[in-house]
Amino acid sequence: MTRLLAGSYGPDNPGFPSGKDPYTERLMKRLAAVTASLGLAAVTACAGGTGGGAATDGGGGLYTTVDALKPGIDANAPINPFNPKGNAFQGYNVQWLGWTKNHLTDPNQFYPGVAKSWEIAPDQSSITIRLHPDGKWSDGAPITSEDVKLSIGLAYTQGGTAYALDPSASGTASDIKVIDDKTIKISQSAKSPNSTFVRGIMETFVVPAHVWKGVLPADFWDRLKATRTPGPQADAARAEITGLADKVISFAPAKDVSAGPFVLQRVNPGEALLVKNPYFHNAANVAPSRVKILNYTGNEQIWNYLIAGKLDSAPFTAVPADVMKRITRTPGNAVVRGYSPVGNALGFNQSKKPYDNVHVRRGLAHLIDRGKVTRIASPEGGAASVTTSGMHREAAKAWLGDGLGALDPYAADPVKAEQELKAGGMRKRDGRWVMPDGSPWKMTIHVPASFSDWLAGAKAVTSQLNDAGIDAQVVTTADYPLYLEELTAGKYDVGFWLVALGPAPYNIYQRLYGTANGWQLFGGTLRHVPPGKEGNWMGGPETLKAEGGGTVNPGELTLKLNSASPAEQKKIVATLARVANQDLPVIQMWDYVNTQFVNTTRFTGFPADDSDTLRLSSGVWLGLGMIKKR
Amino acid sequence: MTVIARRLGGHLARGLVMILVVTTISFVIIRNIPGDPLLARYEKLIEQGMSPEQAERATAVLYGFMPSGSLWEQYLDYMSGLFRLDLGQSVSMPGAQVTDVLASAAKWTVLPVLVGTLLSFLVGVTMGVYAAIRRSGKLGDVLAVSGSLLHGLPQYVLALLLSAIFTTLLPILSSGGTADIMVEPGFNAAYIGSLIEHATLPIATYALASYGGWILAMKSSVVTVLGDDFILAAELRGLRRGTVFRYVARNAILPLFTILALSLGLLFGGAIFIERIFNYPGLGLLLIDSITNRDYALMGGAFLLITVAIVIANIAADMLYTAIDPRVRSGEGGAA
Repeated sequence: MTRLLAGSYGPDNPGFPSGKDPYTERLMKRLAAVTASLGLAAVTACAGGTGGGAATDGGGGLYTTVDALKPGIDANAPINPFNPKGNAFQGYNVQWLGWTKNHLTDPNQFYPGVAKSWEIAPDQSSITIRLHPDGKWSDGAPITSEDVKLSIGLAYTQGGTAYALDPSASGTASDIKVIDDKTIKISQSAKSPNSTFVRGIMETFVVPAHVWKGVLPADFWDRLKATRTPGPQADAARAEITGLADKVISFAPAKDVSAGPFVLQRVNPGEALLVKNPYFHNAANVAPSRVKILNYTGNEQIWNYLIAGKLDSAPFTAVPADVMKRITRTPGNAVVRGYSPVGNALGFNQSKKPYDNVHVRRGLAHLIDRGKVTRIASPEGGAASVTTSGMHREAAKAWLGDGLGALDPYAADPVKAEQELKAGGMRKRDGRWVMPDGSPWKMTIHVPASFSDWLAGAKAVTSQLNDAGIDAQVVTTADYPLYLEELTAGKYDVGFWLVALGPAPYNIYQRLYGTANGWQLFGGTLRHVPPGKEGNWMGGPETLKAEGGGTVNPGELTLKLNSASPAEQKKIVATLARVANQDLPVIQMWDYVNTQFVNTTRFTGFPADDSDTLRLSSGVWLGLGMIKKR
Repeated sequence: MTVIARRLGGHLARGLVMILVVTTISFVIIRNIPGDPLLARYEKLIEQGMSPEQAERATAVLYGFMPSGSLWEQYLDYMSGLFRLDLGQSVSMPGAQVTDVLASAAKWTVLPVLVGTLLSFLVGVTMGVYAAIRRSGKLGDVLAVSGSLLHGLPQYVLALLLSAIFTTLLPILSSGGTADIMVEPGFNAAYIGSLIEHATLPIATYALASYGGWILAMKSSVVTVLGDDFILAAELRGLRRGTVFRYVARNAILPLFTILALSLGLLFGGAIFIERIFNYPGLGLLLIDSITNRDYALMGGAFLLITVAIVIANIAADMLYTAIDPRVRSGEGGAA
């Protein structure tokens, strides 16, 4: 039956020739009409839109970029710098008092932002800030000290930077004094002065008081004063101010009132458009008339934008070698490289055997060829670490000078590795290393699956270790939040860990001798908690015997970096670098290189290699007048 | 009470129970997902140069947006909010209501996926009929092969291919976003054109990826119906070919309507790969971000939306079947 009917409707049945049935013919015609209509719509759309062409503007004044701080543009987010998703783009339509230079040893050097100049007291107890005399908001209102004061009040509700409500916290602003319309002096608490105070102040977002004034209660400053008094009223005042955090984060100004070179015109889920702020104090030197910031959800989208020549600049992006070739083939594209105060390291959980033994850690350091690992893991964005000092090589050179050469470089050396492993009690059986008691040694390196360079690096390390007779494997974790949770819970023996996070030396050594290694700062007092507790996953000892004599508490020394003079800091850094090099809580694998992309087809004047502006957003470059129209 | 009304009442009651059960299960699962988003944020701030203490304080502010209390208390709070249509606040988008965030993302998913689904259904079903009746000829082969090929091609491969062709090799379409920001938004030709242009590749990918399934299903269904006795009877009675064709099409398309209704229910699940590759800010991307950020409220809201849509689609499919199939309407044909 089926065969018969199939035959009746088949092409070999002359009684039902193909395409001759009026019903099917009608259907085909309708289908063709629908297809044609859709095609027409698409063509019309292509003509109506700007398509995928290069970013151009009538006057050639459109600057196109992506903002690394805002990878996912949220069209519904408020124009609010305190909101992590807010449509406030640093350097473009929101300004800090000053922009931190990427100095190797001094974190208190800045480019002007809302502040034109500043004076730091010799003991860093206060900073006096002078605003640009002709500084105005994008609605024409002058920028005054009251704007800065209100912004500081708002920052207190967020608890970040230099605005802690805990009176025992160090580096906290304790007195804000408006001297005149354009001058304001901020002092820090004399009880616990901190060298990062100045930076904390300068990295304050400044918002217009005439827009934001209703967000803080009228008695805010009295409440703030109450937080510093003894007694239960201080706790109540702190709770009240902290309770304002939601209100501040959620506040949505009706329109953008910007202190920056640009003001937000509109935003959609894929892009943000900013136009030049004619009232910006340096507007005459701001080249583009408009800025387009593109949304991205992954690095590959930035690669595509770059290959298409759409971006005038793009911040640091990990790029595989073959993609890099395609990017650099695009006319006008150029690569700029500079210092990035970040390093990557293999971190040990010293509460797990055999990693509690320094000789084992040293043996591993001698087995790993960091140059080869880096070439595989991060060929464009990394440089193999010269040694383990806790610092990036550039910072280490600046802090240690000739002392850097005195550190053990832990060059790949199988003979030394064998000596160290044997000194650590490890034994070799049938060509494979085993534990001192003869049980198998299986080394597992954990990395988050989404970090491709870490994953490639870990695989390269395990390959080298396996060749050297150590059973090593890589285990990936689904994502970074899970990785961090499990790492800090002490579940991993060995994992990758970011180190050398400068430029402040305290921040650098906190990565090795801070919470992750047991040192907790609570109420201004430092204490050391046992391994496996309160985030202590490194599990190192509280004190170390330094080679050449003496016992060192690296956590205490690290804390001292906050209040030490520059000369003292230098001595402390030298000690910590030596201790880190000798004890190896981590093995530094590679230093990150700040690899950025610029396109000189439409604009020129981009920062050169190693410029200290490379870590700042291109909005700052534009505001400083560095970028010129071609 | 009519058969349809009875069935609808039963479906709605079952659907409501289903939604409550799924919501409860997903609530428990979500709250037990391992991973610490605040630790990740803290690390991010440290990487940006903040001191550990400063980063800790800044991160603590976000705790205000995190649900607190025991799991049971959180559940009661969540369910009471649910009955007021309050899904809570997003942590990854501080200060934003989950309902607003979902509504904003939904429009960028529903329209492209709806258009893509209907387009692929229309073309796929029509081609499926041809593939069935011309299955011994070249046209049938071509249609069947194209269906199998596209059906077997993963969505993300298709998306990458189209992206490479139309945004890089032959750059005539945009590679991301919903509309060109340079075009003034509003009801004007340029803006609508820009919207269509940006949606073209996501729609095309979705349509092409679904087309294969429709053509194969329709071909199979038509071939089955062609073998039924009533078609032979119609032929023997000398009915016009067009009439016979309509008999075939109407009967063959019945099961596909069910699949179509269920596909429409998955509209809110988003097209994760497509949205990721084309940087199209719909529910799929939102769901991924909410999982990465462990944004419990947003995750719960997204799952709830998907659940409700699927339950409604199931009910709609059943009701549709009841309406279009007289056997089901009269209670003879059993369940759809």
